[in-house]
Amino acid sequence: MSEVKIKSNNLNVFYGDKQALFDVNLDLNEKEVTALIGPSGCGKSTFIRCINRMNDVIDICKVTGNIEIDGVEINDENLDVVSLRERVGMVFQKPNPFPKSIYDNISYGPKIHGKGETKSELDEIVERSLKKAALWEEVKDRLDEPGTGLSGGQQQRLCIARAISVNPEVILMDEPCSALDPIATAKIEELIDELKKTYTIVIVTHSMAQAVRVSQKTGFFHLGKLIEVGKTEKIFKNPDNKMTQDYITGRFG
Amino acid sequence: MNFVLIFLIVIFSSSLFFYGKSKTKSISIERNIKLNALPKFYGYYLVLWSSIPALVFLLVWSLFEPVIIKSIIIETAANQGAIFNDKNEANLIYEKIKAIHLGTYFGDIDTILKESAISYSKFLNIFTNSKIVLIFVTIIASVIFSLKKIKNNNKAREDVEKILKGLLFVSSLIAILTTLGIIFSLLFESIKFFSVINIFDYLFGTNWSPQRAFIRDASAITAAEYDELRDAFGFVPLIAGTSFIAFIAMFVAVPIGLFSGIYMAEYASSKIRRISKPIIEILAGIPTVVYGFFAALTVGPFFRQIGESIGLTVSSESALAAGLIMGIMIIPYISSLSDDVINSVPQSLRDGSYAVGATKSETIKQVVIPAALPGIIGSVLLAVSRAIGETMIVVMAAGLAANLTINPLESTTTITTQIVMILVGDQEFDSPKTQSAFALGLTLFVATLILNYIAQRAVKKYREKYD
Repeated sequence: MSEVKIKSNNLNVFYGDKQALFDVNLDLNEKEVTALIGPSGCGKSTFIRCINRMNDVIDICKVTGNIEIDGVEINDENLDVVSLRERVGMVFQKPNPFPKSIYDNISYGPKIHGKGETKSELDEIVERSLKKAALWEEVKDRLDEPGTGLSGGQQQRLCIARAISVNPEVILMDEPCSALDPIATAKIEELIDELKKTYTIVIVTHSMAQAVRVSQKTGFFHLGKLIEVGKTEKIFKNPDNKMTQDYITGRFG
Repeated sequence: MNFVLIFLIVIFSSSLFFYGKSKTKSISIERNIKLNALPKFYGYYLVLWSSIPALVFLLVWSLFEPVIIKSIIIETAANQGAIFNDKNEANLIYEKIKAIHLGTYFGDIDTILKESAISYSKFLNIFTNSKIVLIFVTIIASVIFSLKKIKNNNKAREDVEKILKGLLFVSSLIAILTTLGIIFSLLFESIKFFSVINIFDYLFGTNWSPQRAFIRDASAITAAEYDELRDAFGFVPLIAGTSFIAFIAMFVAVPIGLFSGIYMAEYASSKIRRISKPIIEILAGIPTVVYGFFAALTVGPFFRQIGESIGLTVSSESALAAGLIMGIMIIPYISSLSDDVINSVPQSLRDGSYAVGATKSETIKQVVIPAALPGIIGSVLLAVSRAIGETMIVVMAAGLAANLTINPLESTTTITTQIVMILVGDQEFDSPKTQSAFALGLTLFVATLILNYIAQRAVKKYREKYD
């Protein structure tokens, strides 16, 4: 059993008057993949956006309760969001490379955080990140071409490389394969398997099969509540809750 | 008279709508056939057919009637012994005859004029009567034609669509033709100007003083006269003044407009945005003449005072004052357009930047602005063409003397101001001075066209990026 990396305690999220998360208590283990499943609008994405405070961007969003990384409270007004996001990277549902060159897409983060002061250091970071994202071989000869010109699957791996480039501890993935074809999806899943050796990964997914394939732990959300959480094998073979059973067998959602 | 006719035509043909509708209904019941379209389409068909030919006829008639009457009257007057040497005198006599007919002429009336006035009113009567008769004939013919069609159960829906399509086509044709007309009138007058003044003397001359251009006969110009003229129409000081003032305006408007656009799009809460955006856009609604006297009466003297207090000679009409106020006028164009393009940069790009730990200003500077840049350039270019075409502020605040200078404290002038100066007051239309206004207009038109084209290309390129 690995150690707990992220711990949420009575986490509530409100969008204006509407409550999106109700008292979520969820522990995420270090160097493991945790999958969050549940029907659309159930709060999975809202939950992972609490971990890197992306909800700050939304004006009307209010978060109460505690969420700790390595025992340090992050839902704190005085916390430096920039250094938090340096530690907690994120990959989004739709690939969103910047309209810049492939090289600039990767070097953007390190430059902002003052890493890689010389050109050769930056080159090295770019190469390392792209290799880790299994994209290096495909793009090494055209680093100065725009990132938006790559295929969907390549773009998503570029975004993963961008997240890796600042050397985070946690990577959040919000339905990273929902816009990709099966072959690109398989590549990303392979990559997730590889990445979990170095990073703690949280992945939101609508595909049960994907959750089974990539995760060690699974949480099931419904209507803003965490219904059940446990080892992936147990959740999919022998869930405790009737609702979980119904969802994974496709009776609703 | 014409208005009464139009009114009657419209009333009559509208009433045919109900007739057409009920008629086709009864036809379908009587003959037990299925109509090719809903009854209302037969109504529309009848309305369109009964009104359009008559209205077109009326329009064409009204265009040609005065011309024909005029030529007849002038000819009869000439036959009766009226003497006129050229077209202008003939026109004068015709106007006199018309005035006598209307009872507004108070000069001496000789027999020829009197006779002509009588025949004028006679012709007018004949023409009006025949107009009314012919319109009735047109309406009756077209109604009979369309009723016959309706009774044969024609495809009224398709026919109505065709007629409407034709109407829309004619409307757009009118818009295009008027534009072409304006361009060609500019072009022809400019060609006349350039037949007197060498185009290179115009484009590269550095002295603009068209008031010197007194010549007896533009068609037979002597070499000595031309030497006088060749440096009276130098375009360079005008384009220099125009670009200089536009440059000062952009120097004011681009940073302020862009920054306020960024603030509106990225920082302002929706409440602030809701209140302040309309306020900024009110700036665009202030008439330019108001900006003009603000520049001339407040800002200009203010600069002169400051200049005096630090020992500089500042003209009270300065390029600086005009440019500054023009810049303020342009701010809302840039701010609201760049606000729009910044808003249309997808949120996902910002999220991607925040997610690697960039701050808001880093995100804006390195991701949002570069992504929105083509659109921002487009908005700036549109603003530039607005600045170049602006007249009133410059007339009032920058002076009229065509100085070739880069000192913003001196007075200078622009293309549009000079066009105004040339065309106010009494003008002879065949002197190069007046024609130079058309040449200036053409040059300005071409310059603005090029800028707009570039701006639209930039905006288009931007659109392709995120669609």
